[in-house]
Amino acid sequence: MASPASMIVPLSSNFLVPNGTFFAELFAFALMVYLLGKYVIPPINNAMTARQDAIRQQFAELDEAKSDAESAEAEFRAQIADARHEAARIREDAREQGAAIISEMKEQAQTEAARIVEHAHSQIEADRKAAVASLRNEVGTLATTLAGRIVGEALEDEARQSRVVDRFLADLDASSTSGAS
Amino acid sequence: MSAMIAGAVPLSGDITIGDHVVRKIGGLSFNLDTIWATLIAAGLVLLLGLIARRALTKHPDDHVPTKVQLLWETIVAEVNTQVEDNLGKVQPYVAPLAISLFFFILFANWLELLPTEINEKLHLTPAPTADTNLTYALALLVMVSVWTYGIRQKGLKGYLKHFVEPFPVLLPLNVLEELIKPLTLALRLFGNIFAGGIMLSLIGLIPFYASWAPNLLWKLFDMAIGGIQAFIFALLVVLYFGMAGAGHEEHEEHDSTEKDPELAH
Repeated sequence: MASPASMIVPLSSNFLVPNGTFFAELFAFALMVYLLGKYVIPPINNAMTARQDAIRQQFAELDEAKSDAESAEAEFRAQIADARHEAARIREDAREQGAAIISEMKEQAQTEAARIVEHAHSQIEADRKAAVASLRNEVGTLATTLAGRIVGEALEDEARQSRVVDRFLADLDASSTSGAS
Repeated sequence: MSAMIAGAVPLSGDITIGDHVVRKIGGLSFNLDTIWATLIAAGLVLLLGLIARRALTKHPDDHVPTKVQLLWETIVAEVNTQVEDNLGKVQPYVAPLAISLFFFILFANWLELLPTEINEKLHLTPAPTADTNLTYALALLVMVSVWTYGIRQKGLKGYLKHFVEPFPVLLPLNVLEELIKPLTLALRLFGNIFAGGIMLSLIGLIPFYASWAPNLLWKLFDMAIGGIQAFIFALLVVLYFGMAGAGHEEHEEHDSTEKDPELAH
């Protein structure tokens, strides 16, 4: 062990000392790195990038579709709300119009009724007046003629004639009012 | 451990460690078993990569990834994140290097778990990472790349300046650190996987009717170790790149703040 010769002999077969295999290994590994770096790793990197891009693009499309759907929904809701408002407005209008029509009709009916009543009253008054006038004319002559025939006395005197008629009418009035009441 | 096992079970033979199928070509020795195992591991990684690529090019508009593609994408995305966190952006060289390192080391580590031992002397698929030749080669490639990256980011002067920062007296330590980085990278990986191989050899000495349980347990554990070592190696590589380029961003920011007043004029 201590002699130089015995030191040299183990060195040649010492597994810590490299031999010609070193160069073969160096070449083999360098070749493998070259082949992998040229033919395998770039396409894999490209594929990863492409997939990430595709996923990113899909996410973008998803976001777009989502925002589209949201805006459509918002529009839909706005339209629904508008329609509700419109319906409420129309209902309110109809109610107001109905009320106006009813009140107008009521008013018209009342005026018409009042007018008819008024007309009837005036008609009655006119009839009564006409009746009174005709009575005044006819009853006087009739009565005087009748009375003249009965009493045989000519009642030619105008003044007395009208006085008699007035008294008669007053009596008639009194009797008619007491009979009516 | 071996003494305990030796006491418990009859040993059929001695364990030989660090033995390889060696062929001398032109004065250089080549460990053929390491080389073919490396080719198998690298071939599997490339095959998986090409399967993922074929699925990608067949349906370029179909964004649903296949299972193999998912496997790749998980690692690629993770490494890209790490690179971006440490280097500021995804470097077109660093990320593929780290991804290749991870997959290759993972497959190389797991090769050992295939039950392809012809006898105690010959394992058809030994972990190539249990040979320092591979780990030294990986570490050398990585560190040369790291140094190149650092010089390209900061310029030769700027890169060399970081050896005397924060204090010039730390120069030897800083130089030592740069030299230790590849050694630790290589030997950490080698040691872990090499030890796993020794454990498998030891378990192989147990008669088959009793060895299945420790074999199963250890292989499961070894799978975890293989994954962790691949992850650590790739992560450290990214961190080393980040350290080599560190300080550059601050320099750039300083520049931009200087430029701003000029732009304002």
